[in-house]
Amino acid sequence: MKRKSIVLPWTFSFLLCSAYGLYYARATKLEGLDRSVSANRETVSQDDEEIKATIKERYFLSQVRSDLIEIAVNKATPAQQPPVLTAQAGSSSDDQVRQISPLRGARIETGDTGAAPRKPEPSVNELLNASENPDCTYFGPLHEKISSVGLQEDLLRSRFKDRSLSRGRLSMSLTEQVAAKLPSSSDSAEIMFLFEPPYGNDPVNPTNLIDRHIFSALQTAGVPPAKLTNDFEFIRRVTLDLTGRIPTKDRVLSFVADSSLDKRERLVDELLSAPEWLDKWTMFFGDLYQNTQQNQQVAMYQQGVLAFNNWIRDSLANNTPYDQMARELITAQGTNSYETGTINWLVGGSMGGGPYQDHVDARTARMAQHLLGLAHMDCIGCHDGAGHLDSLSLWGRDAKRIQFWQLASFLSHTEAYRTPVDPAVAQPYYWGIREDASATYQQDYRLNTTTGNRPPRQPFNGLQRVSPSYPFGGGGPVNENYRVALARLVTSDFQFARAAVNYVWKEFFGIGIVDPPDFFDLARLDENNPPPAPWTLQPSHPSLLRELAQDFIDSGYDLKALMRRIVNSRAYQLSSRYTGTWNPTWERLFARKLVRRLWGEELHDAVVQSSGILPNYNLGAVYGSKSWAMQFPDTRPVFLQFVEDFMNGNRDEEERLSEVSIQQALNLMNNNVVMSRVVASNPNGLVARSLSLPNDQLVDHLFLTVLSRYPTDVEKSLALSSLQTSTRTQKVETLLWSLYNKVDFIFNY
Amino acid sequence: MFGQEKYERFLKRHPHEGRFFNRPHWTRRQFMEVMGTGVTAAFLPQRNWAEDLEVIERSAVTTQNRARQVIYILFDGGMTHVDTFDLKVYDGVTPATFDPTMINGLNWPVGLLPKLANHLPKMTIVRSIRAWAALHQLARRWQQIGRNPAAVQGDVAPHIGSVVALEKAGHRQPDQVFPSFLSVTRNVAGQGYFPAITAPFKVNAGATSLSNTTNAFGRARFEQNYAQLHLLDDTLRISSPYSSKMRDMDDFYTQAKALMYNPAVTQAFTLSTADRARYGNTGFGNSCLLAKQILQADQGTRFIQLNIGGWDMHSGIYAALPGRAAELDNAVSELLVDLEATGLLNETLVVMMGEFGRTVGNVNGQAGRDHHLQQFVVFAGAGVRGGRAIGATDAIGGNVAESGWARGRTIRMEDVEATIYSALGIDWTTVRYDDPLKRGFEYVPYGKADVYGPINELWF
Repeated sequence: MKRKSIVLPWTFSFLLCSAYGLYYARATKLEGLDRSVSANRETVSQDDEEIKATIKERYFLSQVRSDLIEIAVNKATPAQQPPVLTAQAGSSSDDQVRQISPLRGARIETGDTGAAPRKPEPSVNELLNASENPDCTYFGPLHEKISSVGLQEDLLRSRFKDRSLSRGRLSMSLTEQVAAKLPSSSDSAEIMFLFEPPYGNDPVNPTNLIDRHIFSALQTAGVPPAKLTNDFEFIRRVTLDLTGRIPTKDRVLSFVADSSLDKRERLVDELLSAPEWLDKWTMFFGDLYQNTQQNQQVAMYQQGVLAFNNWIRDSLANNTPYDQMARELITAQGTNSYETGTINWLVGGSMGGGPYQDHVDARTARMAQHLLGLAHMDCIGCHDGAGHLDSLSLWGRDAKRIQFWQLASFLSHTEAYRTPVDPAVAQPYYWGIREDASATYQQDYRLNTTTGNRPPRQPFNGLQRVSPSYPFGGGGPVNENYRVALARLVTSDFQFARAAVNYVWKEFFGIGIVDPPDFFDLARLDENNPPPAPWTLQPSHPSLLRELAQDFIDSGYDLKALMRRIVNSRAYQLSSRYTGTWNPTWERLFARKLVRRLWGEELHDAVVQSSGILPNYNLGAVYGSKSWAMQFPDTRPVFLQFVEDFMNGNRDEEERLSEVSIQQALNLMNNNVVMSRVVASNPNGLVARSLSLPNDQLVDHLFLTVLSRYPTDVEKSLALSSLQTSTRTQKVETLLWSLYNKVDFIFNY
Repeated sequence: MFGQEKYERFLKRHPHEGRFFNRPHWTRRQFMEVMGTGVTAAFLPQRNWAEDLEVIERSAVTTQNRARQVIYILFDGGMTHVDTFDLKVYDGVTPATFDPTMINGLNWPVGLLPKLANHLPKMTIVRSIRAWAALHQLARRWQQIGRNPAAVQGDVAPHIGSVVALEKAGHRQPDQVFPSFLSVTRNVAGQGYFPAITAPFKVNAGATSLSNTTNAFGRARFEQNYAQLHLLDDTLRISSPYSSKMRDMDDFYTQAKALMYNPAVTQAFTLSTADRARYGNTGFGNSCLLAKQILQADQGTRFIQLNIGGWDMHSGIYAALPGRAAELDNAVSELLVDLEATGLLNETLVVMMGEFGRTVGNVNGQAGRDHHLQQFVVFAGAGVRGGRAIGATDAIGGNVAESGWARGRTIRMEDVEATIYSALGIDWTTVRYDDPLKRGFEYVPYGKADVYGPINELWF
């Protein structure tokens, strides 16, 4: 009794002050502090100046606009405003105190209009004692008390102990209370929420064609979309998606401080013009066109890969319309694949051990997959679809082998031939493409095979040879070279635009509108002509796909315009955090952003860039030296184990995968790529350059540089407490190492 | 997500107390099962259909079920068969140094492979097998995925070892830390559409340690750092607000850590000087020694792939052969000796083959042999009745003369695949309807239709 009577008012006033102190701490991040409930905020008041000063100081901002504070402070809509606590020091309003949780952004009014005194952060002891109160959810720098591994393990252990056990231990009780009271979305969101898009939280932009379709579909389905990304999330995500790099700390801060309404669009334009955009999309198209030095069938050698790689890069750099790129691939001609890069695309589609038709078929199937998203054509190259594709593709079920031959016929005069580099030695060699050069290739596609890699090709309805005829809508050569005709027919096929936009869409949204993107079913795409039951329309958003494809055509097959359209949509800018119960079937509705594990190249380059320690990899005489993995011209041979362990594929039968694995974890924890960059011994490294900063700034600096965001309260206090030690340098190394192993580094969210 | 729900149910059914850092409440067995289905289930929304995952068809076949694990040795380049395991002596061509000797009805190049001559009683040589393709990469992939790589499922088909890993996932013990499928070569086919947990865990050939299993900061600091990482990151890993994929990553971190500073790992990967000398002090010798030690460790590995390359002898074959053959001879004979001595041979199926054979009769213009479809495959261990050949080729070795088995036809890679599954107790006629092409993935192509099947004659 005696104890309680002494403690209670102390506890109350301590709580109030600590709540205020905590509150103040959060207020500097502009969450819900309202020192005076003044309706008139046209002039920047004395209080606001203090807020601005704090923001500037804490966030290295050179200028903080008053309207930013305005937005920040008044961001809650009236309905959402948390209850106001009116309290005076000394009053016994336990109930009022208990009503609010400081973490929830309650506002505190004081009777005074003057600036409230800055309250020092409570000491650890105070916090520990305060935590006896079950309502206190402040998880303070508890780890000041924990200095040994054993206790840290205790804490770990206790965090995940079965909650049915008694809560005897202080640390467990605190942790569990925190864990119980943290919102289902991590509080990192709460910290960053302020820097939301300049257009507010409304996700729908009716002027963007993507948004019109996505959000109306969501509305029809009654599925609420996620909120929009805040600025921290957005800049990291879009920088990675467009350029394969993480943003620099300076860019992050300048972006979030920018209060212009069109800052996101301008960022997108900046990224599309960056040289790193070329790196990433050269890699992407290298994957798509399967540009590699040796596949299961043929060798193109590194010189061929480099020529092809350079062609892709130059085309992207010149903003060559995508239909023009496709035309150049299909009509590739020349004597030397080491010089004419596009030759390698046709050569890569070869199939030995059989008659020449096997080569022609392989090229046809590849073309159909890469440019039309029709991998099933490969099936039709062996047999009619009926009896094989019946449950897979409505169009495929009715497709006939003769249609494949009609398509292949366009390539039936095209021959790939090799010339040794040194006439005296068979290898290495380079390739050339010629037409009508040998008797075999001077006729249309012949039906006269019984051996090889595909079932026999025998005369069909009396036909010994098949003339070219475009199976998807008809048409053939009109007094023109077969491949020129094919290029014309393919690029003017609406499916070409559909396939292209869908491949690109998948890179940004994680799932294609048609998925997998090379499994298009031509009979199930038109929402005005839906397939008979039980077949359903294949695209998740048929009208969107159609309009987006048309938009792509209208833009002149402009890849950058397509990407601009995509990333400027609100649908792309939805958060990956979702409040409420998530239903996996909503993935196809794009109700939230789907996280993706970074490419091995992206992870490597992010570690390199953020640490500031550039490598120099000698890739050999042909490829030269590279510092950035995204600039490697090929995925094989393996130049970096680190990258290969993230499954970048071999551009042949093994495609790039986003799966996670044990070896990836081992790499991130232990590979020299990471370890050499977290040590303080390299004077150019991030650790060495940060050591002179005071702890508070150091933690922020590391988080901003590596994770492109500020630490959350919990992370900050954990990090700070870990640095309160004599082995500070080591702890900084540890902190950086931890950041490289955090899941929000490994994934793009 | 499917996996998440199952995980929650597991938690409710198996509340756990007092075990350090056991928050997933999963044994590795449960983990494998759930991960396997969960991750496979993760494919479903992405594949635009969400059928019941449990559509796996099996027939009522009787498997041999004699082996726990497989060592799969591939002779990269296509080993000549007529100079080795299907010896044909061509007058004026075959070197006398080969010392061809009849050993219990088998003609054997004792001069070329002396040590293996002593182990013929352990081995059955299948001679009536032909490859489908004479292209290196195609044929190599063919013998790893057990089907035509150029066919419709060629790109998504898993390695035989991945199938084994998936099928044996439920048999893993909670304290076993090694991956089920280990490849002592980086040039190995992948897991196709199967979950990443069945992917070959690649180890550098001749490795004396598992790479990236020690941390440059030293163990003590690493442990502290690891704890710190979890303190910092667990909010995003456990019940992540972003995605359950982050929890998956966390599970892999846990398994990865279990491989670090683990005496079982260190022991398995420490190759003593004496042992290495016994195995011939070669890269392949070290790989064989490593395979034996890994199996001895009994840490969950069920399928180990080893490669020995350099057999693509288009020129100067009789100059090149002795060196390669010696490497093979020393290594495999010691491996068989050790497996027998440790009692592992009876439960380990050893399979050795190249991707195809080489031309027969006279050598070519460069004194070499070129690609040829006629080949051989050797089986040992797992109760295989050794000391003989199954099937026979004609006098010159170019084609099959006697098939030597009940089906009466040339044996194919698909039959070898069925044999491996049968030996492990896996129903080779299984069809899984969880494949991305929705056509049903058959463990053995046409296995259900009994077009291909195990070579049961190996055991009787």
